[in-house]
Amino acid sequence: MGSIVLVVRLVLADVRRHPSQVAMLLFAVTVATATLALGLSLGGTSRTLYEQTRAATAGPDVVALSGDTGPAVTSALAELAADPDVVAHHGPYRIVYADLTTRGSVTSPVVVHGFAEKPGALNRPLVTSGQWVRSGGAVVERGFATALGVGVGDRVTIAGRPYPVVGIAVTAATSIYPWAAQIGPGGGPSDYTGLAWMTRSDARELASSEDLPVTTAVDVKLRDPAATEAFREAHRGSDVTVDFHSWQRKAEQDAVILRGTQPILVLGSWLLSFLVVAGVAALAAGRAVQQTRRAGLLKAVGATPGLIAAVLLTEYLAVALLADVLGLVIARLTVPVIASPTASRIGDIGGPTGPVIAAATVLAVAVAVLSALRPTLRALRTATVTALADTAHRPRHRPRLTALSARLPTPFLLGLRLTARRPGRVVLQACSTATTLIALTGLLSLSVQTSRGYGLNGSTALPNLRAENTGHLLIAVSALLIALAVVNIIAFTWTTAMEARPSLAVARALGATPGQVSAGLSIAQLLPCVPGALIGVPLGIGVFSVLSPGNAALAPVSSMLIAALATLLVTVALTALPAHLAARRPVVPVLSADTP
Amino acid sequence: MSESSAVVQVRDLVKEHGHGESRVRAVDEVDLVVPEGQTLAVMGPSGCGKSTLLHLMGGLERPSRGEVWLAGQRIDGLSERALARMRRRSVGFVFQAFHLVEELSAVENVELPALLAGRSPRQARRRAGALLERVGLTARARHLPSQLSGGQRQRVAIARALANEPLVVLADEPTGNLDSAATLDVLRIFEELRSAGQTLVIVTHDERVAATADRLVSMRDGMFVDDTRLAGFHPRGLGGLIGLEG
Repeated sequence: MGSIVLVVRLVLADVRRHPSQVAMLLFAVTVATATLALGLSLGGTSRTLYEQTRAATAGPDVVALSGDTGPAVTSALAELAADPDVVAHHGPYRIVYADLTTRGSVTSPVVVHGFAEKPGALNRPLVTSGQWVRSGGAVVERGFATALGVGVGDRVTIAGRPYPVVGIAVTAATSIYPWAAQIGPGGGPSDYTGLAWMTRSDARELASSEDLPVTTAVDVKLRDPAATEAFREAHRGSDVTVDFHSWQRKAEQDAVILRGTQPILVLGSWLLSFLVVAGVAALAAGRAVQQTRRAGLLKAVGATPGLIAAVLLTEYLAVALLADVLGLVIARLTVPVIASPTASRIGDIGGPTGPVIAAATVLAVAVAVLSALRPTLRALRTATVTALADTAHRPRHRPRLTALSARLPTPFLLGLRLTARRPGRVVLQACSTATTLIALTGLLSLSVQTSRGYGLNGSTALPNLRAENTGHLLIAVSALLIALAVVNIIAFTWTTAMEARPSLAVARALGATPGQVSAGLSIAQLLPCVPGALIGVPLGIGVFSVLSPGNAALAPVSSMLIAALATLLVTVALTALPAHLAARRPVVPVLSADTP
Repeated sequence: MSESSAVVQVRDLVKEHGHGESRVRAVDEVDLVVPEGQTLAVMGPSGCGKSTLLHLMGGLERPSRGEVWLAGQRIDGLSERALARMRRRSVGFVFQAFHLVEELSAVENVELPALLAGRSPRQARRRAGALLERVGLTARARHLPSQLSGGQRQRVAIARALANEPLVVLADEPTGNLDSAATLDVLRIFEELRSAGQTLVIVTHDERVAATADRLVSMRDGMFVDDTRLAGFHPRGLGGLIGLEG
């Protein structure tokens, strides 16, 4: 019990001494775990929402549609409804293909389902606002209405005829907006299309008066809802062309809108985690001497290695676990927004599942352990006297590099020698820059994509929600990656300055100006970033190509090279302030130390 | 004493640390002239302000009040950049803790000030080699500081202080971390420097070291309490002076 109290006291004291480092660790791990939890949570959310919508709207197991017309179609669909495996049916009903215009200019393809004013037992759209269809009024599907920006009481024009919007509803009989058509006119391919309902008579009148294409459909409920494929096979070969749309197919189609989202989040979470480890490891390394000395003091007063390891690791683990909880909460709150971008579905996705919680926690713990393990092991292995003398970890002598740097101007001499002190950090910095360039390359390539809008003939008056959703997430993840890279650059610079404080103080005493020291610190950060930037561009192209559809365009190479150059310039700019502050710290306190 | 021949001169020098009630005056209205070629020892108990005085003379700290002159140029108002250039050109520092760059060999440490001053690598290396020979460490030129004894490290530090042929060498407790034998080596080097006309200011609390100077100033509570002209260095009797045979 006493040991636990001691560990807690020491950890709390350390947290109070380094609040900014704790805040950085908390922020960084929260971002990484939230992104991972979000990415993993998206798997299956479309299905979950579809099933809840299906239950709430008595969604059919199969929708059978025919682009043909005439008595043979009605007869064929009636025959389907009479199948012994069918326990309920709705229809046949008319689906009219038209254009819908609202706010004077926004026009979209729409399919109008002609429904009874009193919904039946099967395929009963759930009215989320307003009321169900009545003569002369239209009900607009919720995802479509949201995209159009219309609500109850607004007016829409369908095939040139004005209709008041009397209600907003959702259904599981069609896929989410913009895939409501299922088949196009005459059974051909369909364009991005919204859904509206009218009374049967209004739909018939609309179709006949404007001579619009019409499809006939029937919804059926099977004895075994899973046997949709068997039902389709049993009715293949009819004289009339009938398309069968099972509920499983609709659930799969719903997930298409998130197809680009999950890889961005999951891959983004791994990149974020890498940056977190790099940044936190740099901070931990910056405190390594202090931690080693602390371990030496604890050893000197009789602490066991286990207790010392607990003291050194607990802070990181506790903060990482707190960040894990925060990340999971953020993911829980954000999932509904990302998982249902069209508002075509209702229901609750629920909290992160056990495996998601486990994965996020493993990530948080891994970040903490990877960041703090090396300094902790070094502290444990260092002899007590050596640890107390602050001489536990000396940089290696690199005579060739020292000779090379002697030929350079003073800032480059200092910069190159500072870089050579910590080769491991050079690798981390290069990878950090490469990660930034991966994000920038993705963003640049995203900016040159042209996506077909959901409006009439691909008009972007109605934006492509899938591309927009993917783009927003890519921007968000890239912004987080860049923000963490920025924090890392500052952390790297400050850590380098603090570690090299004695050497830099000596250089100042020997006549190096603050400007030369400051420039040397900036150069020390810049040197590893150059190979990182050069590697990052092709890596970014590769990652974007993997995550994008085959026909996705890449940004011009010239713009990527400009981005790489800009990254290097920004790195110099970001290092300027910490380097300036470090170079102007008084040297006397360091030089007055009496430890040889 | 002629002020015109002074290498270092301070007038009414005050240095205060802290604020309000915790304010401490480390150097209290001190006046001092160090002529060219003189070896001055500043003595006093720990915390009396002698190291602070040395830092003020070398431009590592700025005074709260008063003037610091180096080779006829007032330096207390110079910018950090100008102070750095002045140190590079005119001052050599020797510290109690040596402050060698750990990842550089002895010769690389010694050549560092020359490189900072813009000399060519070849010139800097040649000068560093000559200085290491002067302090008897040619054979150790490629050794890292961690491979050298305390006395050897301090000799490297002295060689480094001389790299740019400074007007004055400021030594802060140069034997504070050394045993008697190493102290003897360091004092021998200082005697050689004195003989060569090098101006030296040595801060020490060791009476044996102070006794080897031309002049001894005693400090207490930031003020000079005594200023004594000594008989000078006795190289033959140095071992006896510090308790060792030479």
